[in-house]
Amino acid sequence: MPARTAKALGFIFVSLLALLWLVPILMMLVVSLMPPDQRAPRFGGLLIRGVSIQNYVTVFLDAPILQHFINSLAITIPSVALVVLISSLAAFALARLAFFARDLWFYLLIMTLMLPIPTLVVPIFQINKALGLLDSYLGLILPYTALGVPFAIVIFRSFFAGFLRELEEAAILDGCTPFGIYWRIMMPVSGPAVAVVIIWQFMTSWNEFILALVTMNSVETKPLTLVPLVYSGQFMMRPGPMFAILTLITLPVIVVYYLMQRFMVSGLTAGAVRG
Amino acid sequence: MVPALILFGVFVIYPIFYIFAASLYEWDGINQAVYVGLQNYIEMLTDDRAFRVAIRNSLYWTVLTIFPQMILGFVLASLLTSGIPFQNAFRVIFFMPAIISPVVLGIIWQRIYAPFGGLLADLAWETGARFLMQPYLSDPKIAIFSAIAVNVWQWTGFSMLMYVAGLNSLPREVLSAAEVDGAGSLQRTRYIVLPMLRHVHQTLILLGVIGTLQTFALVYMLTKGGPNHATEMLPTYIFQKAFTLQGMGYASALAVALLAIALSASIFQVRVLGSRFTIGG
Repeated sequence: MPARTAKALGFIFVSLLALLWLVPILMMLVVSLMPPDQRAPRFGGLLIRGVSIQNYVTVFLDAPILQHFINSLAITIPSVALVVLISSLAAFALARLAFFARDLWFYLLIMTLMLPIPTLVVPIFQINKALGLLDSYLGLILPYTALGVPFAIVIFRSFFAGFLRELEEAAILDGCTPFGIYWRIMMPVSGPAVAVVIIWQFMTSWNEFILALVTMNSVETKPLTLVPLVYSGQFMMRPGPMFAILTLITLPVIVVYYLMQRFMVSGLTAGAVRG
Repeated sequence: MVPALILFGVFVIYPIFYIFAASLYEWDGINQAVYVGLQNYIEMLTDDRAFRVAIRNSLYWTVLTIFPQMILGFVLASLLTSGIPFQNAFRVIFFMPAIISPVVLGIIWQRIYAPFGGLLADLAWETGARFLMQPYLSDPKIAIFSAIAVNVWQWTGFSMLMYVAGLNSLPREVLSAAEVDGAGSLQRTRYIVLPMLRHVHQTLILLGVIGTLQTFALVYMLTKGGPNHATEMLPTYIFQKAFTLQGMGYASALAVALLAIALSASIFQVRVLGSRFTIGG
């Protein structure tokens, strides 16, 4: 088969498959733009009679969607910041400083990567209850941070390990403290690692469901992921507003991914291939 | 390091001890817990159909998501590094579902699968392709496979991206040397590319197993583990026992089982298959 035919066939195959990947996401957008007077959307809502933003208006008026959006941000942003700070410091310590049982700690952290979150849902619920953190942002920020730290440490550590020792030794001779090395030398050039950690932690915290479900009982503190459940009764017969909510949940992750994606492949390559 | 350890101690280490201890009690979370010894485990292993279904579903889920995803991901990655038009746009499209919340995807796919007004049902009506009309989520025999299909759809793009990263880092010289020696493109894939991507395969399997054992939101939104436990996974069952039926002790025993499965699967892979956490660690 000549190379050009093969390429054309490959293009057709990829295009058809891409259609299959796009349709559900397109459906979300289209149904959310459905005019409210249209009763039964056909083809799951892919065919609508005209475009309207009425559903978004409904959602903002009938459901305190802005409050839920703020809740999600108030949970996600601190956990992302904490994970970047704590895990980069810890990875620096693991990669460069000597301390008691260093390797043991690292293996313990690695084990956590294999830990399914649902095993922890009962105890975390009870801990939050005991600490009075149910219905508070901290009740999710702290566990998200704890659970996000191991993955971030692995990323940072593999990134730091590739650094030139000579550079650090020169810095030490010039009187640089270990913290100085971390802050002035390593962090400024760790952009790709930071980007991967930010994307990952943002996505997992923003989309996390089971812990949020058991921790946030009052409507005022629920993050966006829980919103479809809260209003599923109210919007049961009206897919338009429901899909507007789904679109609003999805938009921020897509924006963050879009802003960070140029780092993603290079960051993954750094981690995946060095192995 | 210290803040990492404190958080880690409170929210990871302590909970692990906690579920072991709690699994020996019968406890509704409010009243005094009653010590029952190994009773929860005995019941779980001998007299719990839902538990057995959850284990069976986890096996289906592991095998039927990991391999299709890897194969499709590899094929896509190969095509999307071969210089066909719009390859970056295609990569974004395939990766998109991986960053969207399973809660959102669950609701969208409910409408795709819906028997009345659903996308597949309407397609079946309009085109006469009646086989597309199935009780996707209500028939206990096929519901779990419908859920698995969504999961494959969601994560194929992630496998693709991992393979793209792997393919981009293969040494060009080896591939062109093989080409000079007369190896066709299938031969190169079979004998050079696939073996050299071993780390990517291993990482994807490791992440796939862990992902399976974590599965909650997608199944919860699609079917809540029903009909009649047909799509139950261990996490959905733990949630139901603990927070719907107030059986904190029994749920803890289930959590211990899940933990044991997760750890032994991981240790098996790391020790026997030589997997390493490379990206996912």
